[in-house]
Amino acid sequence: MNSWLEITQLQKKIDDFHLGPINLQIEPGTITALVGNNGSGKSTLLKLIMNLANPDMGNIKVFNKFVYGQDESWKDKIAYQAQTPIGYNPYTGNQLKSLIAPLYPNWDDTLFVDMVHSFDIPLHKRYGKLSQGVQQKLNLALTIARNTPLLLLDEPTSFMDIPSKKRLVDILVDWMDRGDHAIIFAGHQAEDIMKLADYLTVLRNGTMVGTFEKEELTATYMHYWLKEPLGKMSIPGEISREIKQLVSNQPAATEQFFHENNVAWTDRKALDLDEIITYLLQEGKDGYINDGNDVIGS
Amino acid sequence: MELPIRLSKDSREPIYHQIENQLKALIAGGHLVAGTPLPSIRALSNDLEISIITTRRAYQDLEQQGFIRTTQGKGTFVAEIADEKRQQVKISSVYQTIENAVDTAIQYDYSLDQIKEIFLEIIDTYRKKGE
Repeated sequence: MNSWLEITQLQKKIDDFHLGPINLQIEPGTITALVGNNGSGKSTLLKLIMNLANPDMGNIKVFNKFVYGQDESWKDKIAYQAQTPIGYNPYTGNQLKSLIAPLYPNWDDTLFVDMVHSFDIPLHKRYGKLSQGVQQKLNLALTIARNTPLLLLDEPTSFMDIPSKKRLVDILVDWMDRGDHAIIFAGHQAEDIMKLADYLTVLRNGTMVGTFEKEELTATYMHYWLKEPLGKMSIPGEISREIKQLVSNQPAATEQFFHENNVAWTDRKALDLDEIITYLLQEGKDGYINDGNDVIGS
Repeated sequence: MELPIRLSKDSREPIYHQIENQLKALIAGGHLVAGTPLPSIRALSNDLEISIITTRRAYQDLEQQGFIRTTQGKGTFVAEIADEKRQQVKISSVYQTIENAVDTAIQYDYSLDQIKEIFLEIIDTYRKKGE
């Protein structure tokens, strides 16, 4: 496989927090969302990819180079946006641009100017004087315009308003279509940009739950409304139930069971992505790979 | 351009299949004429809030069946299709829709005879409307 990023058996301990083992591959043309509760290790994982922290075990290769190796040529091919960039405060947007742009041979000035206009970013004001939302927009313009094949964004829209988020999605969609690109972003589960992702990599308190293709996930979860209250029977695929409702992560097995046991149901509905993520993030519940034996009733 | 595609995530029909069938219907029905440019895989995925893996699969199937064609560097376009194929799509999409209706009725515990009665009743109403 032609992977741009390859992470194998990565582990990192910070005090009593343990990240990993993480296995992840990023192919060109794809968008991957890192999802997890607070402190689940999303930012740490991005920092490890950028060689801003050292792994305890495992390997990270970006464009076939170990990120902690002598050869640092991979750094031209990856742009990273931290949650809070350090050292930007005293500089204006104009100054930051003239510091950053020369470092990236593919710098796309048209894209930078377009984003500055579209987001109405004042380039003559000091970064430290801007609101958090505008800082984030400037940051995005300074990062995306580097026009590197691989783009890493850490919670890129946490302070942005809804119209700006929508505009960012359009910008990223256009950018993805203009060449061989890939994006990894860390985000909150209910965020708009989640919709942009092809794959979701789910982290739960440092443990990797898995990487899922989006429709694979949405097709796996079903909510059923039943005619009669459920008795005490245990139902394959069941992950939660109320008196006359059931959520399953094995719809085929569940429906087979309903059929064989004459359980009548009146409706079924797919779950929203953020509901599915909530299930995946619940401790001890393996939302996806399930042998059908574990029954969590209420 | 935005395509009038509506996906049902609750349906048993896989998403890629829904896209395929709806695009076929748009093409066979003459709503999308030969040569019309189609959105890129990424743009359509974004509109429909699905992954490019799903959209790519639908586009690949449609290309194999001759409904669309992709030109390297230019994009994807609606292909010229023969009248025979157009008829085929119409027939199969009507059959599919009625089959779906029968499925729904079975889901609600109707017997096949009851379903037939309902069907005839609906046909009757349409006939009266036409008079």
